[in-house]
Amino acid sequence: MGLGSIALSTLINKDSIKAEDNNPFSPSTTHFLPKAKNVIYMFMGGGPSQFELYDWKPELAKRHGNDIPDEFVKGKRFAFMNSTFKQNNKLLGPIKKFNQHGQSGMWFSENIPNIATIADEITMFRTCKTNLFNHAPAKLFMNTGTGIFGRPSMGSWITYGIGSESQSLPGFVVLHSGPRGPRGGAANWASGFLPTTYQGVPLRGSGDPILNLANPIGVTQKRQRDSIDVINQLNLKRLLATGDPEINTRIASYEMAYRMQSSAPELMDISRESKATLDLYGVKPGKPSFANNCLLARRLVQRGTRFVQLYHTNWDSHGGPGETLTKDFDKVTNDIDQASAALIKDLKAHGMLQDTLVIWGGEFGRTPMSEARQTKGRNHHIDAFTMWMAGGGIKPGNIVGTTDEFGFGAIDQECHVHDLHATILHLLGLDHKELTFRFQGRDFRLTDVHGKVIKNALL
Amino acid sequence: MNLFITNNYGILFKFLTLATALSIDLVEANTREINFNRDIRPILSEQCFQCHGPDAATRKGGLRLDTRDGATQNNNGNSAINLINFAKSELLVRITSTDPDSKMPPAESKKKLSKQQIQLLQQWIADGAEYDQHWAFKQPVRPPLPILSLKHKNWARNNIDYFVAEKQEEAVLTPSPESDRATLIRRVSLDLTGIPPTPTELESFISNKDPQAYEHTVDRLLESPHYGERWGRHWLDLARYADSDGYSHDAARSMWPYRDWVIKALNKDIPFDHFIIQQLAGDMLPNATLSQRIATGFHRNTQINTEGGVDREQFRIDSIYDRIATTGETMFGLTFGCAQCHDHKYDPISQVEYYRLFAFFNNADEPRIEAPTDEILFQREITNAKINKLQSKLSGLKTKNINRKSLENELANLKKSQPKLPTTLVMAKRKQSRVTRRFIQGDFTRPGEEVQPGTPAILHAIPKQKKDRLGFAQWVANQNNPLLARVAINRMWQHLFGKGIVETENDFGSQGSPPTHPKLLDWLSVEFMENGWSQKKILRLLVNSATYKQASLLDKKIDKDPSNKWLARQNRLRLDAELVRDVALNASGLLSPKMGGPGVFPPQPEGCMDLGQHRKTWSPSNGEDRYRRAVYTYRWRNTPHPALKVFDAPDGLSACTRRLRSNTPLQALTMMNDPAFIELAMSLANRLMSEADSISKRIHLGFQLCVNRSPNSEELHLITKLVEQQFKEFSLDVSESKALVDQATMIDQAPRKIHNEAEFSAWTMAARVLLNLDETITRE
Repeated sequence: MGLGSIALSTLINKDSIKAEDNNPFSPSTTHFLPKAKNVIYMFMGGGPSQFELYDWKPELAKRHGNDIPDEFVKGKRFAFMNSTFKQNNKLLGPIKKFNQHGQSGMWFSENIPNIATIADEITMFRTCKTNLFNHAPAKLFMNTGTGIFGRPSMGSWITYGIGSESQSLPGFVVLHSGPRGPRGGAANWASGFLPTTYQGVPLRGSGDPILNLANPIGVTQKRQRDSIDVINQLNLKRLLATGDPEINTRIASYEMAYRMQSSAPELMDISRESKATLDLYGVKPGKPSFANNCLLARRLVQRGTRFVQLYHTNWDSHGGPGETLTKDFDKVTNDIDQASAALIKDLKAHGMLQDTLVIWGGEFGRTPMSEARQTKGRNHHIDAFTMWMAGGGIKPGNIVGTTDEFGFGAIDQECHVHDLHATILHLLGLDHKELTFRFQGRDFRLTDVHGKVIKNALL
Repeated sequence: MNLFITNNYGILFKFLTLATALSIDLVEANTREINFNRDIRPILSEQCFQCHGPDAATRKGGLRLDTRDGATQNNNGNSAINLINFAKSELLVRITSTDPDSKMPPAESKKKLSKQQIQLLQQWIADGAEYDQHWAFKQPVRPPLPILSLKHKNWARNNIDYFVAEKQEEAVLTPSPESDRATLIRRVSLDLTGIPPTPTELESFISNKDPQAYEHTVDRLLESPHYGERWGRHWLDLARYADSDGYSHDAARSMWPYRDWVIKALNKDIPFDHFIIQQLAGDMLPNATLSQRIATGFHRNTQINTEGGVDREQFRIDSIYDRIATTGETMFGLTFGCAQCHDHKYDPISQVEYYRLFAFFNNADEPRIEAPTDEILFQREITNAKINKLQSKLSGLKTKNINRKSLENELANLKKSQPKLPTTLVMAKRKQSRVTRRFIQGDFTRPGEEVQPGTPAILHAIPKQKKDRLGFAQWVANQNNPLLARVAINRMWQHLFGKGIVETENDFGSQGSPPTHPKLLDWLSVEFMENGWSQKKILRLLVNSATYKQASLLDKKIDKDPSNKWLARQNRLRLDAELVRDVALNASGLLSPKMGGPGVFPPQPEGCMDLGQHRKTWSPSNGEDRYRRAVYTYRWRNTPHPALKVFDAPDGLSACTRRLRSNTPLQALTMMNDPAFIELAMSLANRLMSEADSISKRIHLGFQLCVNRSPNSEELHLITKLVEQQFKEFSLDVSESKALVDQATMIDQAPRKIHNEAEFSAWTMAARVLLNLDETITRE
């Protein structure tokens, strides 16, 4: 191949270049030895309240109803500044009871008793920070490191960087549960300027797990096989006539599609899982749920999928109807608590936790001040919120960062989204400064020109 | 190999090393005279400009190497380039230094100069360090035709070929023979209209002895209204067109009048400069027509965030950022967007200049207007006439009686059936102008100094009295713009050859790849401008060239020029997403020729609309609208139609200047199993069975419809065997053929009476195979 011309291009022919044989670029190492091989990312859509889950603030409880001191909010911008959050500087004390758990004595609210049991497996990041305070832009930011459209998502970067081990399932899979899909939809798992091969493939909880997986009516498996045989034989003749290696890839695509037709249903068939496993997650067979998706995530990773993203909604606790910090919040914590913890325990039991980085978090957190809607809720907050990670080289029983007495901002070690991204790539053996793609004359990165690895989160 | 991710561990390593290899051209360069733009600028840009380039804020040691003045400036007795004693040039001292503290580029930059690059810099400085303006900022000048060897001269069909042949002679390559007639007519039909030739067109073209037959076909295709649909879609990619708002709610929007405007404008071959002016500022033209106002929808294709709690000003500004970036990429091939937060690192565009451009867009309002089509107006006129007639009848009736009651009912119904006036989003001049300020680091909460509208100094000047959006539009579309024609020509080339003359089609700047055929690019650009900016004229030239008509077969030549840089063959290209469907629709006989109007809803699998915040519905269209060309398919930004997305249709989130062509198992699943494709296979089966009466004739027809050629004996044999085997199996298991026929009946594709169920089922399987062939979805 003319290497110079390839390097100078934005790799228009990358796929066809690879098609000539299995993989002429076939490399064997990452930038350095990876700790994690796979990622399962539980994306909590809507922005979970850290004050009702992880960040215990006795001072906030004590000063409930008082005004937050001016220096915290002066010059700050918030969502709903011209409507429901116009003059809201009243502190809202934690609504849930908190207890300490594990050897590290981490605080968890009563709402997530199961997650509390994995305290000694996780690193809690209490000082996460992002740039954008509206849902769709913030989701985009959490996924792509920017609010600008057209950039690749983390899953795309990672599968671009290290490929996938699965021979018959997509390398980057997206599942969702809850009352609504994630705001922003496909932009959240888009491949941006990376080849479209790296975009996330939505896996569906009901019907065909992958679009058009089932044979059409009247087509048996044998008939499908016979048809593919003819298609491939005809394509092979065309390959010989034209010499175009792209046809080789097409032939292989049909073979892989055929394999997927059996491997994807096998993946989805959880009937062979033991009752103990189903109970651990709280899976009710046949009923789509976050629990079901967590179990599928483990099965996907087991089968070589590199990056699984589970979206669950709705965490948007403004206090309005369907968004209360009481009943509605309890419902969503109930949806996810058992399964989030079960995933960690199950991965561990399968000896997979050490290779699998599990991430739990939303696009932002909530304000320590209350928002007055029909009931008291909390507004979107970007200065400090909590996420946690486990497995894949993450230090267990560990807390990173400290927030101020009201949990408004970091007083120790801010963990910006760019830093989280750098850390995630690092665990996968990728240097976030080296994982680049040349587009419009510039080497783009997931972390743009920012990001530092959060060293005290690592094993 | 994983076909989703055709990549494995550490791929980036390889690419990093490749990226520093820069270009094979450098090897050749040592034996040639130094050419600054070809040999030196890429090195300085890649290795030095990040710290010693146009960006004043991050410039190190006050040194800039992007201008000769900067590089030769005396700095405490030292200068980076010493013109008197070149060996004393600090630049040369530093790049050859072994002291890590003084070596350039520094180790932490991860940049490294190769030996050849150092030699080139040495030679260049020894020769006097002549700078030259970056090629793309220089006005294109029509170059003389190259002098060719007799062989290539005989091959050439028009001037394009002279420039291509010149490069082939340098590379010691010979062109491929002309494609066979069938391939040729299929290629040019797909490229110009997106619809393959009919069997009759194919037959008559193959047997036509007129030496002008091909040229006549080209003329016919350029006059076809389907031309506008095909080339309009290319433009809609740039315009980031979609039918919804994006972001959180992704609400439906009525924008199709803009889409139809683009299609019509291309069919009318509106001169490209006017095409641009109308889209940027049609509303400000004197006595602006409705059509000119609709055209300004171009920059209303930005997303709108309607989620609760947003600061509207923030997203208004984001839209302007998008407009500047899109204008830069699509009309200049420049990455203006890079200067939003700081001076551009590689190209001479400062941050202040960026906000001068911002000022042009800042004084627009963003209204929605009624955009009735002639058809709707006509229908309304008819209904109105009926209403008037009824009303006068009613007023003539004095008493309340049964007759009156029924007339009143009729009137109410008529009023209800009155078609509504469609709306579309446009730009409008703002009465009270806004003050534009530079935003520090691109952050709209940190306004800096006030900025007046203006254009980057590196580009042609804008008249003083014309500093509004219309003046800007006229400045963009001005003959003195060195970039607009080149960028447009390059994209046309890209659509017809798979790759532009400048491969980095959206970056003609310092970091972009240089044109492979600079003279050809300039010749075509001048030709374009001097011939009234007619896109059809240029396309006619391009497709009539011998270069275009070459066979795409890969032979031993591939070893010499694997990326086909020198065009000694055509390229095989997988069809664009829309065409994958259009070609199958066409073969099946179902394709509706209806043009324009609101987006339509061809079938898609259940559940695809759940992936955004709101569960939306997708009720498949019935009748003609079910089978319209895919350019008319409704485009939701958050939940795009899966069969378009899987074949790399852009998402409308940002300007798409080049589609990638992926090749994945999900595409195979779509074509084999998607009920929408099965529907077409059934219709094709019916067509084959009713239009031909033997197995062999049917297979011939199927090949003509899907790949526009006759099958060879092996191909005929394979399909015959499949049909016979399937017929036997379907005859044995009647339940399967019955299920298939029931399905066909449900969607109106039931077998015609004379055919039995097993036969129909067997032919459906054969039709499905034909529609799935690589060749069917490829332009050879």
